[in-house]
Amino acid sequence: MVKQGLIFAAAALLAAPALAADQVSLVSEVFVEKVVVAPNGRASTLLKQPDVVMPGDNLVFVVKYRNQGAQSARNFILTNPMPNAVAFREAAGEGALFSVDGGKSWGRLGELKVQGSDRRLRSARPDDVTHVRWAFRQPLPAGASGKVTFRGTVR
Amino acid sequence: MKSIFGALSNAKPPVLRYRMAAFPLALVFLPNAAYAAGTTAGTTISNTASATYNDPGGTQQTTPSNTVDILVDELLDVTVASADPGDVTVVPGSTNRVLSFVVTNTGNGSEAFRLTANTSLGGDQFDPTTTSLVLDTNNNGVYDAGVDTVYTAGSNDPVLTPDASIRVFVLSTIPGASTDLDRGLVNLTAAATTGTGAPGTSFAGQGQGGGDAVVGSTGADGVDDGAYIVQNASVALVKSAVVVDPFGGSEPVPGAIITYRLVATVSGTGTLTNLTIGDAIPANTTYQTGSITLQSSALSDAADSDAGEFSSNAVAVRLGALSGGTSRTVTFRVRIN
Repeated sequence: MVKQGLIFAAAALLAAPALAADQVSLVSEVFVEKVVVAPNGRASTLLKQPDVVMPGDNLVFVVKYRNQGAQSARNFILTNPMPNAVAFREAAGEGALFSVDGGKSWGRLGELKVQGSDRRLRSARPDDVTHVRWAFRQPLPAGASGKVTFRGTVR
Repeated sequence: MKSIFGALSNAKPPVLRYRMAAFPLALVFLPNAAYAAGTTAGTTISNTASATYNDPGGTQQTTPSNTVDILVDELLDVTVASADPGDVTVVPGSTNRVLSFVVTNTGNGSEAFRLTANTSLGGDQFDPTTTSLVLDTNNNGVYDAGVDTVYTAGSNDPVLTPDASIRVFVLSTIPGASTDLDRGLVNLTAAATTGTGAPGTSFAGQGQGGGDAVVGSTGADGVDDGAYIVQNASVALVKSAVVVDPFGGSEPVPGAIITYRLVATVSGTGTLTNLTIGDAIPANTTYQTGSITLQSSALSDAADSDAGEFSSNAVAVRLGALSGGTSRTVTFRVRIN
């Protein structure tokens, strides 16, 4: 607990100078899908915010954003690097852009190529994704909020 | 895809929608299909998003989200596979006959495994007596007596890192009463020492790296059969005699020549080694020098490099190794005194 408190304090110190300009807030949440069997034998999928997961677990990532400033935010781009231990599966809805090279270049998944184990280029697969991002065409108006979601599997 | 995320498209977190609180004890968690090993137990999955945008002054700003940390639990999984290409051939009464198995940690954490061999199995004709389990500690795939370490349950349970394997030798004695083509089965079980059970069984806080240890799809134990098969052989020796008397007849009179014919026939699926035929010269007869033949080829009387010899008034022919289904014919002559 002491250690956590220290990290918290350090983070607050670092964030303090930028606070005045912190017009947009982001909240990241991660859920795990658990298949549960009820006493009547029916299986259903439950979403939990886990402390621990296992290889093979399916995760749902949610990033909530809110423009808490008084002005609109232009060129709003939301980026989520994939944790190394998670294989990207799919993003909800349209409009997500992907990187398979650590965030250097971006595109639709079907347009991206990676070097296969035989050193030849092949079409990128979801589990090649290193970053997922949403680039908003319209400015994010003051007071606007929303969320983006995507799924991955613990490698 | 839409349905998956439908629950998430509203502003409120979806986790509260489920009636988990109503049936907290009635629900059974099922583990998802395990990847081979996968992310190492104790790894922390950290997720942080960030946003960039232009503020009203046109300056680009960057905002990070909070960081979500999730620990990866230890999945307990193991497989055992027989490593012999087929049944191991043995002869009745033999000792320290070796069966090979490979134990593989298919979980995602370092884990010790308890090994047990069982010989009381159905579907075979005899029960081998297992005398020891040996770990292939020099990792050469072959049992090396006195070099590889004898296994003692609870004292040197092999600890395997994720995806690592160890070869285990099961040494057994074959019952003397077993007969040709009898099979004897032995199985080897490897069980995670943290615990075993139905997939999904959880051992709180016992996972590598501080998470839970959770039984994977293998039940955290693995088993496979190995088999011995008896290959035995026996030899039948048939002796016959042809008499030729000095007068052109076949009467056993003094001066008549007796040609003895010895036929050794090996039956069974095994091989007899160092097979030697010996025959003493009968009383009142005299061995005829240089008369030994093997498969119609003459052999010398001297104890030399060929297979036959005459010494101490007896004929001996070394047939060497003979497998089941083969025969050898030896002849020699004597004269009636």
